[in-house]
Amino acid sequence: MELNGLSTDQAPPISAPLRFYVTAPLFAIIAGFMMLFSQADVLMSRYSLDSIVITHALTIGFLGFVMLGSLTQMLPVLAGVKIPKVDTISKISYISLVAGTIFMLLGLKYEAYIFNTLAMLLLSFGFVMMISVIAMAILKVKNFNATVKAMSVSLVFGAFTVLMGLFLLYTYIDNEYAQYRNVVANIHSVWGIFGFGGILIIGVAFQVLPMFYVAPRFKQFCKKRVVLLISVGLVIWLFSNVFADTYSFIAKAWIALFFWAFATTVWRKLTQRRRPISDVTVWYWRVASVFLTLGSFLWIFDEYFKHEYIVVVAILLGGGFILSIMVGMLYKIIPFLVWFHLNAMGYMSIPTMNEMINKNLAKVQFFLFIASLVGFVFAFYIPILLKISALSFIVSMAILQYNVIAPILIYKRVKKTKPDFDMSAFTIK
Amino acid sequence: MSTIKEYLTADHSRCDEFFAIMEDKANTSIADAKSAFEEFAQATERHFQMEERVMFVEFEAKTGMTEGPTAMMRHEHAQMRNLIKQMGEAIESEDKDKFFGLSETLMILMQQHNMKEEQMLYTMAQQHLSAESPRVVDMMESMIVE
Repeated sequence: MELNGLSTDQAPPISAPLRFYVTAPLFAIIAGFMMLFSQADVLMSRYSLDSIVITHALTIGFLGFVMLGSLTQMLPVLAGVKIPKVDTISKISYISLVAGTIFMLLGLKYEAYIFNTLAMLLLSFGFVMMISVIAMAILKVKNFNATVKAMSVSLVFGAFTVLMGLFLLYTYIDNEYAQYRNVVANIHSVWGIFGFGGILIIGVAFQVLPMFYVAPRFKQFCKKRVVLLISVGLVIWLFSNVFADTYSFIAKAWIALFFWAFATTVWRKLTQRRRPISDVTVWYWRVASVFLTLGSFLWIFDEYFKHEYIVVVAILLGGGFILSIMVGMLYKIIPFLVWFHLNAMGYMSIPTMNEMINKNLAKVQFFLFIASLVGFVFAFYIPILLKISALSFIVSMAILQYNVIAPILIYKRVKKTKPDFDMSAFTIK
Repeated sequence: MSTIKEYLTADHSRCDEFFAIMEDKANTSIADAKSAFEEFAQATERHFQMEERVMFVEFEAKTGMTEGPTAMMRHEHAQMRNLIKQMGEAIESEDKDKFFGLSETLMILMQQHNMKEEQMLYTMAQQHLSAESPRVVDMMESMIVE
């Protein structure tokens, strides 16, 4: 069994990423129900409490959890560094993040001081712990490639997003600072979407598109400069937004332009890919690039419409771009992890990746999800669409939950029944 | 003359190319994919052996690390050989679903394996074996697959 330790030694235990992945759809389902019982005109304002609560069920509960889970898994493979005590730390921070998120949703929804306070403590503890161990691991990296660089930059934006978020939560506990709320909230959301989520996805795309689809590699210019150019844009935007708002559209156009360029590059690379297979994950990348393009342009034009469309921008970018890619990637990562860990234990007759998630169910999930996004956008004009779209979203996330759990059940079953145990393939000649 | 890192990294891309051709053929007709599969299997086996019989041996001799990264890479080679064998069986029995299930799994396993090699092992090998680099590449190139 000595060989067993070789790959599991480097990869984190399967439970570290999986606990985050299993929980993510659950928060999305909660968000779906809150949308179902909310009113379209209330959700049209980005600063209404309902909007804030729903947004954070998705951004912390889904996006944040998937990102943290993935970072624990990707850093060892991409950068060759282990996160110190990954199992214990991810477990502790997971518990405090789950509890913190729930308290925050309840605290904001019912304006309960005690819940908000608990949420602040738990979320800061969970995030600080996770971000600092990931940062410590990154500091040990010897060979930085474009993806690891992007991850590090994304983590910096992530840390600021979290800090601003904690401050914002504090303004609901102590009203004294409430006057800064809207300014900070705006920066918090822009840095969160473009800096934390967007840059992480760009970095991951550098690896994932050539790797999963044998698409052409990204040009050196993209890999070396784009993250830096976007980061500079985000910092300039921050200052112009606070001190010279009339000019902030220039920085916005700068940021949006690079994301649009990224979106078209993704589309082209997928068209030029060498693998003929077109599965639901390819579809997710494709629609994500369409939503990213639409969202980026609308974000600029929104400037000229007194920010009337900012909620639509959030749906296009947060849901259409970031959420889409994360769901798509879950469909690849989870079956692979299950296969990889079982295989490393010596089990040979295990289902292949394609047999772990029902393809048709994944397609149904995809269509319901996309339909709900389109519905949410048009609910802006036709309020009745909100309920139907929320239902479609709930069902799609419930299917996602099932699709995430199915491979995990296979993992448990194989471990329990031990169908065969064959290490002969590993005998060294 | 390319360095060890450049030589083996280029060979990864060569194998990827054979992989893509194989899948392309199998997608049109699984029965006609046999020769493309064999080309891919041979190219990959050659790559494994260039590492296992030449580069890893030199690396282990130089660094004394026999239980470290090379042992892990050998282990993953075994995992991949097993999948490739099963893919051959799927082609024989013309089971397209089985074949693509296996090829999908192999693809990700192979890519994350290549990434670890390119990011870490090859870089380490290049550092430790910089003086012997031309000789090692020469040996890999002239090696006859067993």
